This record gives sequence, C-alpha cells and structure tokens, in this order.
Amino acid sequence: MIFGSSYSLQDFVPFTADIYFRLLERMGETYWPLHLITIVLGMVALWLVLKQRLRLACLLIAPVWLFVAVAFFMRLYAELNWAGGYIAFAFLLQSALLLFLALTGIGLDDRSAKSHASIVGTFIALAGLIGLPVIGLLSDGSGLRAEVFGIHADPTSMTTLGLAIMISRGWLLWCISLIPALWLLYSGLTLWALGAPSAKLLLVVLFIALTGLFWKQLELSMLKHESHDQN
Amino acid sequence: MNNRYTRRQSLKMLTAGLAVTLLPAMPRLAASKELLQKPFSADKTLPVIGLGTWQTFNVGTDPKLLAARTEVVSAFFEIGGGLIDSSPMYGSSPDTVGHALQQLGIPDTLFSAEKVWSPAGGSAHEQVANLLGRWKLEQFDLVQVHNLTDWREHLAALREMKQEGLIRYIGITTSHGRRHQEFEQILASEDIDFAQLTYNITHREVENRLLPLAREKGIAVIANRPYDGGRLIKGLKRRNESLPEWAEEECGCSTWADFLLKFIVSHPAITCAIPATTQVAHLRENMHAGMGTMPTASTRQKMVNFIESL
Repeated sequence: MIFGSSYSLQDFVPFTADIYFRLLERMGETYWPLHLITIVLGMVALWLVLKQRLRLACLLIAPVWLFVAVAFFMRLYAELNWAGGYIAFAFLLQSALLLFLALTGIGLDDRSAKSHASIVGTFIALAGLIGLPVIGLLSDGSGLRAEVFGIHADPTSMTTLGLAIMISRGWLLWCISLIPALWLLYSGLTLWALGAPSAKLLLVVLFIALTGLFWKQLELSMLKHESHDQN
Repeated sequence: MNNRYTRRQSLKMLTAGLAVTLLPAMPRLAASKELLQKPFSADKTLPVIGLGTWQTFNVGTDPKLLAARTEVVSAFFEIGGGLIDSSPMYGSSPDTVGHALQQLGIPDTLFSAEKVWSPAGGSAHEQVANLLGRWKLEQFDLVQVHNLTDWREHLAALREMKQEGLIRYIGITTSHGRRHQEFEQILASEDIDFAQLTYNITHREVENRLLPLAREKGIAVIANRPYDGGRLIKGLKRRNESLPEWAEEECGCSTWADFLLKFIVSHPAITCAIPATTQVAHLRENMHAGMGTMPTASTRQKMVNFIESL
C-alpha cells in the first residue's frame, strides 16, 4: 500500500502554506518601503565588518532584531502559533546580545578579516541580503513575497549568522549564532512541512553556516596554539 | 439555540432522519442532490459532511483570508452543511468561524462543535465561555474533550453545563489512532453523545472495536482526518491515479473526494466526516460526496482492495 503514516512533520504546523506565505506578504505590504532602508542597513553592516568596525556593525543590526520580534512575531505570527511569543522573546534576546557586543566589544574578533571562515560568513550574509529577496522577486512578480533583511525573519537570521561567523570568537561565537541558527532550522522544517521549495535552501545554508562556525572555531584554536608556541 | 431550527427545517431533518433509520444497515441510498443526513439522537440528524478547521481556518486577523474563509463557510451552508468543528488548540480558527458567522448570520443548520483541553488553562467553564465569545454564539451544540486531556474532570464539568442548558451535547475526541484503549473504556462506561476519532480508508483500526461499540451505545461518531491530513488525496492526485471504472456506477464517485468521503460516511456507525479546506471549489467537491448513491458493504470492500493495490 502506498499510503502509510500516522504523524508527520505537517501535523505539527498549525497553518497551511497559503496562510504562512500570506503572513510574509502582509509584512511586505505593511512596511514597504522600509525594506530599502533595512537592506542598506544590512549592506552597511557587512561593509563595516569587512572594515573591522565590528561594534558599529552590531549596533546597526541590534534594532533590526527588535523590529522583527515585535512587528512579525508578536503582532502577526503569535496569532497563528502559540510558540510565536516564545520566538519573539528569543529574537529580543538576540537584539540585546548584539547591543551588548556593540557596547562592550567583548567576544569580538579583531582578526576577523584574516579568517578563512570569513569567506563562508560573507557568502551567507550575502545570501540573506541579496539571495533571498531575489528568489522572492523571481518567484512572485509583485515582489510582495520577497523576504528582506530587517523585515522578515529568515533573511535577518541568515545575514546575522553570516556576520556572526565573521565577527565573534570564543563562547560568544556560539552564543551569537545560536538563535539565528535555531530559527533557520525551525523555519526550514516549517517550510519543508508546508511543501515549500525554499526549505531546502534554508537547510543547505544552515549546514554551510554550521560548517563555517566549526571552521572558525578550528582557526581560532590553531591561532591560540600558534601564539602559545611563540610564547 | 434550540430555537434556531425552523419548523420546516425540523420536519425536513426528521424526515431525512427517519428515511436513514428505516433503511437497511448499509443503505445504497437513492441518487439525490440533497446532502445525506444521519440520525444522532432520537429525533436529530446531521448532514454527513461537516467542516473541519484545523490549519485551514487559522488565519489570524488577515482581512483577505478572513473574507476567503467566510466564502468557504457561506458555500458550506448554501449546500446544506451543518457541523463546524474547531478547538482552542487550532490557533485563531474559532475567531475565524466567529467572523464568518457574524458576517453571514447564524444559519438554522449550524451545529457548532468545540473542544476543551487542559494546557489552554482555566476550567472547562471558562474555556467554553471564552470560546462562545470567539464564535459569537450564546450556546454550543457540542463540546468535546480534546484528545482525552483530563477527561474525567472535563466530562464532569461538561455534564454540569449540559444539565444547565449551556451546551446541548458532550463528547470526547482522539486522532491519529492514539489512546484507543482508554477511548474504548470511556465509550463503554461514560454517558456521552459524541465520539470523534480518525477514520479513513487507510486508517480503519476503529472498525474493529470502537465503531461497533459506539453504534451499540448510540453514540454519534465524527470522523476526523478523512484525507489523512491531506496526504491521501494529494498523494492520489500527485500520482495521477484514476478512479476505478466501477466507482461511478456503484457509488456515484466522480472525484477522489467522492471516493474517500463516501467510504467514510457510508459506514453505519459514522455520523459525519469533517474535511477541512481553504477553497470553495474543494468545499463543493467535499459536499458532493455527501450526495447521491452511497457504497454498499461489498463496494466498500472493493474500495479498500483498490486503495491497497496501489
């Protein structure tokens, strides 16, 4: 018999694909043309990271997480999913963490430009800043469903995860990457359950990001050993 | 809400109920464009196709989707639909139903079915009061204990509410084939009016014990997940499977919706099935399954054999 099953991933998602995509569309409708500002903000943050102005980059990204927490998760997503409130809290926490990094500079990696893992970070950040919106534009002519950094959760998480690989070190590398990575996993599984092709993209990017994180950790460990040897 | 049924409607339902009662256990009903009704108590009947709201009606406050679901509800009642089933676990679904009822008015045929559960917080009384506000109703026809959560406490509270006239019928639910042993014990020992469980052509475990017991005890049965969460009908369509040639002639099946739903509602113990949908076109397909010729016992077996051969 071809039809088996009892529970599947789909049974844990409390809405249908059209409802979820309409939610993303509503963010686009409600906040346009804020998209233009947030994309520029993301681009500037990436440029600042490449120029080693890490604290300023964190300061630019922190309010974006606050905005997505309130405008998307608290105001819209929580209406459909009881978990929305908890996810909003996680996004607020990420905002606070970025602000903490911006104000203290603790855990920032001032040798980030020399790191090979930064190449992975840059790729992931660009995928979030340019890749996702372009895919959205190509799949929906109106552009309303295009997901944009600073407005929608997926590109915001993707870009931040890319930047996190570039800017942080030590335990803060994992701390600052945890929430964006968990959201990408959750979102990827949700989209998978809804039968959306973008699920694979999200999960592949997450896999690359995790590879980048471990690579960065390895590079930092090697640098530490080298400096011990020199001592 | 007892007064919602007009004399004409009551007569129509009574006649339909009698017709079904007087037919043999596995009736091959005469072809008709009227939605088949099945009896569920001494003098009440329900249309065999209801409307589920899990996932599909959880649209939040989006005006566009609220209007679209109102159209679905409007078509449902236009065709003669009755039972709408929701739950506080379905996100904003109760609010969406309430919005539709506010827009359309409350039809005489509405049979409102809700649930109580435990993690939602508050007592059954509070939950029912809250849900009535969300549906914009003064009384529920049916309140069920969702997935048997704290069923002893909830059933006791629901019984009180029934005696007070706040709700008309009480029941229990399960899905995905969970806790069937406990479900059976409750059917056997408790005085309930409705039982909701998963029953479809690929999940027929309930045929062995639960459905016969419910029938013996005179408990109405609502079949949830008639398409196995959509996978069944989507799978058949995706594989481009064709209906067997005999399906049209033997039970008036012209679509897979007909095939799958007629199988369910033709079981003598099943009162109604509750497919969920977001589209009016699919709603019409679902409702069509409740009309016309129903499969006999031998045709039902052929249906099972056919699906199992795929």
